[in-house]
Amino acid sequence: MVDPANTPLGRMLLDEISPVVMVLRTPLVEEACLKNGLTFIQMLKPFCVFNNIDVPVRTASDQPYRLQKFGLRLFYESDIRQPNLEVAKERLKQVITQAAEKDLSELCSDLPQINNAVSRSENEVLPSWFQFFNKELVHTVSFSDHEAFDHPVACLVVVSSKDDQPINRFVDLFNTNTLPSLLTSGAMDPKILKHYLLVHDNQDGPLEKATKILTEMRSTFGSDCQLLCINSSQDGVVEHQDYPWVLYKSDDLPSQPLRCFLNVDDFNEIKDLMQDLSTKHIIPYMEQKIRVLNQQVSATRKGFRNQIKNLWWRKGKEDVVDSPSGPTYTFNSNESQIRVLGDYAFMLRDYELALSNYRLISTDYKLDKAWKRYAGVQEMMGLAYFMSDQSRKEAEYCMENAFNTYLKVAPSSQQNATRCGLWWVEMLKARYQYKEAATVYFRVCTEEPLHSAVMLEQASYCYLLSKPPMLHKYGFHLVLSGDRYKKCDQIKHAIRTYRSAMSVYKGTTWSHIKDHVHFHIGQWYALLGLYDLAANHVLEVLACSHQSKTTQELFLRDFLQIVQKTGKAFEVLKLQLPEINISSLRVIFEDHRTYASSAAASVKEKIWVSLEEEMIPNLSTARTNWLELQSKLIPKKYKESNVCVAGEAVKVDIEFKNPLQIPLLLSSVSLICELSENSDEMQSDANSSMTGVQNDGESTTLNHRDVNFESSLFSVSDVGFSLRGGETTVVQLTVTPRVEGILQIVGVKWKLSGFVVGFHKFETNPVKMIRKRIQKAKHHSDNLKFVVVKSVPKLEGVIHPLPKRAYVGDLRNLVLELRNKSEFAIKNLKMKINHPRFLNIGKRESLNIEFPACLEKTNSDHSGVPANPTDVSHSMFLFPEDTIIQGETPLLWPLWFRAAVPGNISLCITIYYEMGDISSTMRYRTLRMHYNLQVLPSLDVSFQISPCPSRLQEFLVRMDVVNKTSSESFQVHQLSSVGHQWEISLLQPVDAIFPSQSLMAHQALSCFFMLKNHGKPSTSEDEISTHFRLQGTDVRLGTQGSSGPHFDIASSPLADFHHCERLHQEILHKGDTSTVDFILISRPLKNDNNPVGSDPSHLFSHHACHCSTASTSSISWLVDGPRTIYHDFSAPFCEINLSMTLFNSSDVVASVHINTLDSSTSDNLNDATPVQPATSSDNQEGWHDLSLVTDIKVTSDVLKVRTSKSTPVESVSPFIWSGSSSTRVQLEPMSRTEIPLQVCVFSPGTYDLSNYVLHWNLLLSNDQGNRDRRSSGKCQGYPYYLTVLQSD
Amino acid sequence: MATTACFVIVSRNDIPIYEAEVGSAAKREDAAQLHQFILHAALDIVQDLAWTTSAMYLKAIDRFNDLVVSVYVTADTHTRLMLLHDSRNDDGIKSFFQEVHELYIKTLLNPLYLPGSRITSSHFDTKVRALARKYL
Repeated sequence: MVDPANTPLGRMLLDEISPVVMVLRTPLVEEACLKNGLTFIQMLKPFCVFNNIDVPVRTASDQPYRLQKFGLRLFYESDIRQPNLEVAKERLKQVITQAAEKDLSELCSDLPQINNAVSRSENEVLPSWFQFFNKELVHTVSFSDHEAFDHPVACLVVVSSKDDQPINRFVDLFNTNTLPSLLTSGAMDPKILKHYLLVHDNQDGPLEKATKILTEMRSTFGSDCQLLCINSSQDGVVEHQDYPWVLYKSDDLPSQPLRCFLNVDDFNEIKDLMQDLSTKHIIPYMEQKIRVLNQQVSATRKGFRNQIKNLWWRKGKEDVVDSPSGPTYTFNSNESQIRVLGDYAFMLRDYELALSNYRLISTDYKLDKAWKRYAGVQEMMGLAYFMSDQSRKEAEYCMENAFNTYLKVAPSSQQNATRCGLWWVEMLKARYQYKEAATVYFRVCTEEPLHSAVMLEQASYCYLLSKPPMLHKYGFHLVLSGDRYKKCDQIKHAIRTYRSAMSVYKGTTWSHIKDHVHFHIGQWYALLGLYDLAANHVLEVLACSHQSKTTQELFLRDFLQIVQKTGKAFEVLKLQLPEINISSLRVIFEDHRTYASSAAASVKEKIWVSLEEEMIPNLSTARTNWLELQSKLIPKKYKESNVCVAGEAVKVDIEFKNPLQIPLLLSSVSLICELSENSDEMQSDANSSMTGVQNDGESTTLNHRDVNFESSLFSVSDVGFSLRGGETTVVQLTVTPRVEGILQIVGVKWKLSGFVVGFHKFETNPVKMIRKRIQKAKHHSDNLKFVVVKSVPKLEGVIHPLPKRAYVGDLRNLVLELRNKSEFAIKNLKMKINHPRFLNIGKRESLNIEFPACLEKTNSDHSGVPANPTDVSHSMFLFPEDTIIQGETPLLWPLWFRAAVPGNISLCITIYYEMGDISSTMRYRTLRMHYNLQVLPSLDVSFQISPCPSRLQEFLVRMDVVNKTSSESFQVHQLSSVGHQWEISLLQPVDAIFPSQSLMAHQALSCFFMLKNHGKPSTSEDEISTHFRLQGTDVRLGTQGSSGPHFDIASSPLADFHHCERLHQEILHKGDTSTVDFILISRPLKNDNNPVGSDPSHLFSHHACHCSTASTSSISWLVDGPRTIYHDFSAPFCEINLSMTLFNSSDVVASVHINTLDSSTSDNLNDATPVQPATSSDNQEGWHDLSLVTDIKVTSDVLKVRTSKSTPVESVSPFIWSGSSSTRVQLEPMSRTEIPLQVCVFSPGTYDLSNYVLHWNLLLSNDQGNRDRRSSGKCQGYPYYLTVLQSD
Repeated sequence: MATTACFVIVSRNDIPIYEAEVGSAAKREDAAQLHQFILHAALDIVQDLAWTTSAMYLKAIDRFNDLVVSVYVTADTHTRLMLLHDSRNDDGIKSFFQEVHELYIKTLLNPLYLPGSRITSSHFDTKVRALARKYL
């Protein structure tokens, strides 16, 4: 702990609480002094403070002590009065304003760093004018009547030797009524120590006259007279190196004395005078007074009796004095005397004595409710405690008590409270209790904004200085202080505090705080006219999506106003309005890959690559050629750059987002690009023509390049749009290079509300890093640098009219239109489609044909368009060799479209073409077209085929059609079976199937057909595909009345699509050899307007391929023989010969074993549950074997069949199988054999010859064994009814 | 119900991860930033106090005029739940903090929530406001 006297507070107290000497002087004295540019007091002042006076002092106690530090305060009599508050305020304001002027330059500098602020020491941090300000504040309450330390201890009466009758002047001076009110009002003892001083100006004449007067004075006033000679420098101006008045520099001292006539002798004389005055007169006088007063006080107040008396006396006095300002005490009252005693003791550094007296008096004042005096005494107690370095707690308690009392109880003592607070603060600071000091500063704040602004600022520095620094509080108090500065128009101070606060709040995520600080500092800078700085700060708060709409509007409006006032085009790097979503950045450029639409560009590169794999020339050779060409043109470092073609636009998609709730108006949105022209010397050229953005990030100015020159190099699209609140828009910007060279897309710029130019640079560095990793898969946005090559022809293509949505099966005729705008020809066109099931390339001849009439079957053979002989499904389509597209004439080519499967289909079509001009840098290019279409389900067609039990090589076909659309109706037009060996026919008349002629939405329909296999069965798939000429039979399903045409399934699109379907569905149906394909042709019914008639222009084809004709058992058989026999039963029995034809439809050898049973049928059925009915009708309701009796009629009644099956018709009398009861035969694959059977009948009747069981077993070799197929089975015989009649 | 109450959750890095004005008083434009300033300034005090006690609820630690800052510090990551209020309902505030802490822990358990990032869950928001109505 340092000596309290050496702390700032100690020094302050030495200044403030020291004996006051009142100076009375004549005008001539002042005149003499003013020759030096100093007043009389100013002249004496430097010599009033003694740091080592070393005077022995003896106060109340008998033990003397030595006083080291001592000081005097000199005041003219006119200044000893309570200062005018208004004047004081004005003065304070001036001080602050002056301080503001000083650091204006600082305001424009960079923002301070918080680390710097923390590391600096106290003196550096605090602005120097704080101390002065505090001092002035303290002075506002000096010379109050209740504080004795401001009362003059002595009076210095000064008369010049030039005055007439100097003796009389001395008397007059003291008797004038200009004496301060303190003396006259009785607040202090008017009898004070007087000291008479005669000032002699050596320039005015010899010393003799003065000495004469002095002796005269001595005889009149006694020994307290002295002579002071000044201006003894004879030779004019003396320049002093260590001018003592400069050291005591204060603002009321003229900073540069023009002339000085004081020489060293004068100094010494003044010094001696003051020392003499202090040691010989004032201190002894005070000592003596202390002793006298102490005796008095002891007599009246010390001791138990006096205490009781005092208490009783005060109690009685209580109701007598009750003035609002408390009781008044004259100088000779007990209380005043004690106070004077205390103050004198304090001034003479006898803190013990002072404290005891203060304690004594404080209780008295408290009892008297003289609160102001009480608080004043408490204040002094606190200081005394501090100075005597006693109880720290006591000191603080006293200060707080005094402060609170001043504030709350005593009226109109705000100034006193402030002074008390400031002393308290200093006390805490001296003990490094900065945190507490800050809170006291905060409490010192008054309603007056200027005052509290300074206090708050000081509080903030206290927080900064506390250990550890409390930066949050520091910032907060700076902001509070700044607000108050602003209230009293101290804008510069406000900015200064906010700037300091900025160091705390820099980069804060507390959004409201950030907005507040930046916005206000911006506004204030604008008030000062520093618009650039202002705009920079307001810029920070623009993207304030968390604020309310009105605040956003306010921010934006202010920003725009400020920018307008700057009076120039304001360019902002990273303007936050609107936000740019960099991750959404997409660059679409065309090198050898060109795109028909933006949708095509968004398709993954992988898809295109796989599609083009076969088309583009062999990669290695092409690449070497291409690279060779490129390496000639392009220096190595750009080898990996993207390539684009001169004259073709590079498109950039950027997403703009408006974070605010208010609309933003954007105009002139364009890309910032650089293009360096390609010439021989790459490097030098780059320097000459590239005038790009030189330093990334730091500078906010873009070099403005010559517009004309620029536009000759490339052209940039210019977009304007407005963003509503919260809206996000993707904007496509383009740049079109005009000459070869290297194009770099640097960034994007835009104009906000017409005059604020914002620009955003695309970061290229991180992108480059990524690029290395995924070098193979070149992503579009990876690199923004392009090598521009010479312009080459570009093909543009469109397919019209491709529908956006279609129903499954929809068959349409489309036209592909290809254009090449340049005059150079292109050739060697190739085309490939990723979904050949959907799109098929037609023949050139069919361009102008009428659809669907072209599909109609006419009698002549060459009707319709024959199918393509080539297999179109997988390989690419080569346009004829002579196809050359050039100039304005487009190439039209027919395409067939058929919606094959439901779902969202993305159709990718790529067209490869080569340049006619060999010299161009690119040998080939590809055109990529992409279409999205939605295919909705329409008719769901399924077929069930089962062998006809009664006939070999005949099948029953059930077709189930379900209309899966929600609203459309269809008319089923025609069913065709494909293949010349198949013949399909109706089983029922058409009217029976389609009573309503159409399928409404959600309607289901089943109908039956008979399918005959005539001719040789096809043995292998290859045969079919090589002789691909679709033949087949058709069945018209329309009603008789509506005469629609037959469609030729062999005509081009149908056959082609059928082939695609076949190939596709083949994958699903593996392994079945005996299959049949069906094509169902339907037409949509026109909705509401014409519900009956079908739409002629639309045609739907549904292909069902590889419908298996194989039943579950691979063995089929047929029992043949007579049905009705007349027999004379007089003969013992009737022998009937039957024959069974067996057919093996499988591809392996089968062994068949026939067991004839003689037991009754019913038993057999019950016993042999595993026995499978011959026609496998396990899971097919309503689908039965046809009984032989009712061959024609299809019974849909389940029950009837069951009965016919389970009960023998009417005969119970048995018959006997008379042949061998068990026959075993081997059947070659796909072959038939005949086995004779014989029955014996004993009586006439009708017999069901179904009681035999057929066991079959496929003799599979091992490698075939794992096929998912039944290798053996057991079949119950078919009913075969034989009627035997008695012959006559 | 307190007329003014501003609730903030401050992450370990002094970043507010959740903010809500839960007072019943009509919203004023400048109130929001004043509240933020006060709460932000109180962080210093929390910093000092948090290490002196093992209790998570630090009671009222700072005041500005008639507004009081109460703080609750979570044990693990020193996430600070700060409430600026003008009411003196100490028990209610304590319960409020405890329940919000529970909610916050539930948020932390969400595997999709990155600790220290902003809490944007609307469910959390409604729950906190309901708690504020209940206790404050």
